[in-house]
Amino acid sequence: MTSPKLAVSALAALIAVKLTHLQALVLFALVISVAFGFLGRRQPKERIKYILWTLLLFLLVGVGIGWAMYPFSR
Amino acid sequence: MAEESTIHEPVQEPLSPPHNSRRETLALVVGVAGWLVPGLGHALMKMWGRAVICFLTVGVLVWVGAGMRGNLFTSRGNDAFDSLGYIADLGTGGFYWVARSLETNGPDVSHADGDYGTRFLATAGVFNLLAALHAYEAARGRKT
Repeated sequence: MTSPKLAVSALAALIAVKLTHLQALVLFALVISVAFGFLGRRQPKERIKYILWTLLLFLLVGVGIGWAMYPFSR
Repeated sequence: MAEESTIHEPVQEPLSPPHNSRRETLALVVGVAGWLVPGLGHALMKMWGRAVICFLTVGVLVWVGAGMRGNLFTSRGNDAFDSLGYIADLGTGGFYWVARSLETNGPDVSHADGDYGTRFLATAGVFNLLAALHAYEAARGRKT
């Protein structure tokens, strides 16, 4: 294997991310909640409240929609 | 009525037109900078916490999206959805080209991972546009 090809496959292996559905949902919800909290609120206490509330809603709605689709999954 | 106005706090004088247009230009520069480099707009406004969070959020979303081999749309789209996806992806600014260089093996949307990756990349772009708009509004003095 030539060195550029080796470097490309090494980079691909380095950044490869393997997540389950739930892990992807939690990661997405967490990252976006924190970002929204920092953009939308200024005081640390308000930020934490907003982040927790948004995170909870993201997870509840995500899992809720998942269960709502369950009867049509097969 | 004239007496009533004297008891109120003094109203701030509206900015003079040259000052106002300078501020608009500065706000535009801040907005474009925030789009090109996620977080730079807020950094220019000395909003350090928001700058770091914007950079990290877009960075993590792009890294995970590219790592899951999500579809990074190009300008040569076949339909309106491809074009919308391209606009969303382009929202990441400079990180669009980072994602392109990270996706060495190209996208793979035959699995759920790749499909999720596509959403992560699009979210990164839309979030960065929102953050750039926030920085622009802050520079105009309409947000704190």
